[in-house]
Amino acid sequence: MATEAAMPESVLLRWVRTEGMAEIEQYRRAGGYDAARRVATELTPDQVIEMVAASGLRGKGGAGFPTAQKWKFIPKAAPVKYVVVNGDEGEPGTFKDRTLIEGCPHLLVEGILIAAVTIGARKVYIYLRREFYRGRLLLDAAIAQARAAGFVGERIFGSDHAVEIVVHPGAGAYIAGEETALLESLEGRRAMPRQRPPFPAVAGLYQQPTLVQNVETLCHLPVIIGLGPERYKELGPPVLFSVSGAVVRPGVYEAPLGVTLRSLIFDHAGGMRPGRRFKAAFPGGVSSVFLTEADLDVKMDPDSLRQAGTMLGSAAVIVVDDSADMVEVMARAVEFYRDESCGKCTPCREGTAWIAQVFERILHGRGRSEDLALLEGIAGGMTGTCFCPLGESVPPGLVASLRLFRDEYERRIAAGATDGR
Amino acid sequence: MAAEAPRTAVTLMIDGRGITVPKGTTVYQAARSAGVDIPIFCYHDRMPPLGACRMCLVEVQKMSKLQTACTLEASEGMVVSTTSPAVRAAQESMLELLLINHPLDCPICDKGGECPLQDQAFRYGPGRSRFIEAKRDHAKPLSLGPVLALDRERCILCWRCVRFGEIIAGDDALKGFERGFASEVGTPRALPVESKFIGNTIAICPVGALTSRTYRFRARPWDIDPVASTCTYCGVGCSVWLDVRGGEILRTRAREEPEVNDAWLCDLGFFGHGYVAAGDRLTTPLVRREGRLQEASWDEALDLVAERLRASAERGPGRVAFLGGRRLSNEDASAAAGFFRDVVGTPHLDHRVDAPPDGASLGVSWGLRSSLEDLGRGDVFVLVGCDITEEYPVLWLRIKAAIDRGASLVIVHAKRLEIRRHARRELLDRHDRLAPLVAALAADETVASGERVHVLLGRLAMDGPDGPNLLRSADSLVRRVNGTLHIARGRGNDFGAQRFGLLPGEGGMAAPGILQGAAAGAFDLLYVAGSDPATAVTDGAAWESARSGVGFLVVHEAFLSETAQAADVVLPALVLPEKDGTVTNLEGRTLALRAAVKGPGQARADREIFDLLAARMGVVRGHDTATRIEPVARIEPAAAGAGASPSLIVVVADRLFTQGSMAGRCRGLIELAGTAHCLIHPADAARAGVTDLGLVEMVTEHASVVVQARVSDVTLPGQVLVHRGYDGVPVHALARWSPAPAGVEVRPVAPPGGETP
Repeated sequence: MATEAAMPESVLLRWVRTEGMAEIEQYRRAGGYDAARRVATELTPDQVIEMVAASGLRGKGGAGFPTAQKWKFIPKAAPVKYVVVNGDEGEPGTFKDRTLIEGCPHLLVEGILIAAVTIGARKVYIYLRREFYRGRLLLDAAIAQARAAGFVGERIFGSDHAVEIVVHPGAGAYIAGEETALLESLEGRRAMPRQRPPFPAVAGLYQQPTLVQNVETLCHLPVIIGLGPERYKELGPPVLFSVSGAVVRPGVYEAPLGVTLRSLIFDHAGGMRPGRRFKAAFPGGVSSVFLTEADLDVKMDPDSLRQAGTMLGSAAVIVVDDSADMVEVMARAVEFYRDESCGKCTPCREGTAWIAQVFERILHGRGRSEDLALLEGIAGGMTGTCFCPLGESVPPGLVASLRLFRDEYERRIAAGATDGR
Repeated sequence: MAAEAPRTAVTLMIDGRGITVPKGTTVYQAARSAGVDIPIFCYHDRMPPLGACRMCLVEVQKMSKLQTACTLEASEGMVVSTTSPAVRAAQESMLELLLINHPLDCPICDKGGECPLQDQAFRYGPGRSRFIEAKRDHAKPLSLGPVLALDRERCILCWRCVRFGEIIAGDDALKGFERGFASEVGTPRALPVESKFIGNTIAICPVGALTSRTYRFRARPWDIDPVASTCTYCGVGCSVWLDVRGGEILRTRAREEPEVNDAWLCDLGFFGHGYVAAGDRLTTPLVRREGRLQEASWDEALDLVAERLRASAERGPGRVAFLGGRRLSNEDASAAAGFFRDVVGTPHLDHRVDAPPDGASLGVSWGLRSSLEDLGRGDVFVLVGCDITEEYPVLWLRIKAAIDRGASLVIVHAKRLEIRRHARRELLDRHDRLAPLVAALAADETVASGERVHVLLGRLAMDGPDGPNLLRSADSLVRRVNGTLHIARGRGNDFGAQRFGLLPGEGGMAAPGILQGAAAGAFDLLYVAGSDPATAVTDGAAWESARSGVGFLVVHEAFLSETAQAADVVLPALVLPEKDGTVTNLEGRTLALRAAVKGPGQARADREIFDLLAARMGVVRGHDTATRIEPVARIEPAAAGAGASPSLIVVVADRLFTQGSMAGRCRGLIELAGTAHCLIHPADAARAGVTDLGLVEMVTEHASVVVQARVSDVTLPGQVLVHRGYDGVPVHALARWSPAPAGVEVRPVAPPGGETP
């Protein structure tokens, strides 16, 4: 891959944006599967883990856990291990995984092979969001091509390694993107998160050691092996940002970690729509606390965003302009959580529904002045009490909106009071 | 505290108290062991923690968030508060959230007064709600079957009932549907709910969401007197509470007994008390005069029986026979055995009324050869002709738990059992071809390598055409693998009857011999107690000819059973829940019976009746003279093959829910039993022109019965399964005692008035 110096600066998106990358010949001509071949035939697992550690790669699904460290948790001696690919991309505003799968399914297959060979898993399940119909067809075809080439199945690349890949479509639940709920669903049960510990690395799919990894994370692996971890790091390291909302050119952008929010919106995504002003942005999907104008120069990396009271999450930037009413924006977010709560734990199941009922009342002109304290109270009862991050995602954004845009809530309630009678 | 704690123990602080617990204990368990109350809803100590209800949140030093005590393992030096302001606030929040959509219809809710939600709302709740929105709205209540009602508005989605079906019963009877706020519990297949253990979900529901349709609105907990007793249906001997009000048993509940039923019951036990208060109980003695049974005084009836017994004695010894025992207590059985041996002087007594002469049941003593607890520690279970959920349901729960710990289940049967998905191996063949399957098991790797192999030989195998061969094969199998052979045969207190001597004495005849002897005029008097031979004897004609061959029939009965209808004297008997005493379960354990209610009218305990008769015959009886007989296991050679095997055979099988004299008088169970039906394989049904749910006539060379047909591959080709236990449907008349399988023809019956095609 390093030979393709003439390609644009992007190291991930170039695979997606180059015509014909769903075909294995084209992918191989561009250097595809060289990295996986090296991993299977030349490098030791420790060497691969070392390279991934040196690259600083972190999980791209939202939690941002260091990838090499996760791999080290997998017990080496376990007889049966699995790789499960989290392709249930469901966080609102996130569409990088879909872009990768539809643009270059072989990049994911190659990343899978690298991970599976390194941790010693013979079986890989891709838990794919059911709506990715086109993605599924392309992935199935890519796996078939890779199998025909001897890269999937027994003795891949002529080595002693065997890797089987199965694509498993989900059933349309946001919670199935949470890794333990995903495993429950994959085992045929209702998608509800499991108690951790034990973590999937120790007791995951069918209680065996399991590496659960996001699609994008795996797609970084061929790049890291191909370029070498130093070069990869020099590039930022690169991150895929899904930028959506009130910008001129919504889309997936590859930018170095630490790019500013301002640069993402104004340099990459073409700025705000004509005549509109920036009002707020969710930096890491709806689950992250939104940023306001004062935060435009924040760096888009985990540490800087944590200091700003929010998180990078899945690097899904949802931009809100001044035409939007923050009460309606938050109401939409709350409805989403109400609909996607799995129902397992009390605070998430009951709390999201109650908050949505209060919002509905406010939006229909039946708000009361005490409702703002009530919303804060319900959010307080949910904070730190939910079983999993889904429910815990609701209170921070809600409380921030009540603090930063309290006037918009108050106007709504006051208008309702006069409209109503 | 200077002493060093063992490495297997940890010491933590809960609310300022040092508590030492074994490593692996959860904070919740540790707190409970020290008497510290932590409120819970979803946690149940027979299932792994779930952490869903969030009611047990506690504050732990050095942990940033509150933790669920039910899922958190106690560790050395952990400092826990169950009462900190943050914990109090969380408890109030959880209760507020649980109550916002709860209807708070406590005044009309069955659970009121014994409701964890009610109790915890009082103790930990905020006292007032900030909720002004519309509550969740569901049609209520939803009937999920004859015994179970679901009120979805009351449900707090603790998932206990769902997990009971997944983890304890293995039947997945209830599942979660929809998600989030719209989540609700329901049945994964059609209604009614398919389970033999659903009563347990009512018991563990922490609110009034799941209620008993037979108990709904009938009593409040504070009106009830619970009586600790024992269930006497199947022989497992589950400990129960009989909840009594105003002289009537209104409800049965499981009483915890880890060595027998743990915390569970089957639905026969839960809903099986209604017969006690049935309106058609016998209340006075009946004596046949002018061909009709007519009411008589106890003195008249007993004098008549005593006179007949004396008259027989004058003609010679051994001209009286006794049948029965299943529905007697140990004390009754002992009194009966003593009376007939010592006072009447006959060796012809047997409780094994339903055993055929040529099967394997008469050659071995019935019951387990180990304790239930030992059985539960097995690593391989082989069920041979034992339909365990139909015959000994709660025993299945113990085996299921062992399977979950890694044990293997192998099934040999003539039918696809409902537990088949838990089996590692299933060997199926027609009823008359089972023996080779058992013989082949010796080569099975799992069975051969098992360290604690338990083989349960059931009635279907023992009493079938190949019974003796199956017994021999099973016996040699357990010898080879150093396992244990259990004789899963007998119900009720058959095990007490066996233990206290209701078996043939020296020179005595077994039950089939007694019947044959009676037919041949060998007896002046036949005496029956604790049994209904007219329906229990598996050769219908054998009973008929015995009855006509014997001069005088005496029957102890609670109801005017078919046997009682044919009697010369019927003495009204108490039923087991009306007696103090003991019973013996299938592992030989003595279990206490406590009289929960008084009997009707002049009904008396069987034991008392025998004492009164003995006195009339000049013997005053104590109760320490019962001869104890330990039958010796012996294996008879197989009966010779009986020529060509018919192409379609009839197999009479046991079912948990039937319409027998007890269950047939219990609300809920009657509906669970449904109508008498046979199971016919689709291939045979097509050949015979039989359609699912249509009426068919089953015709053998001896008799015919009309039942509903269910076309199902639960049975195998060449074999029609029909259930015994439906009063008025004499399936026992279809066959004669014979070592050969009984051929049957199945013909569709045109519905009355229906058009002929």
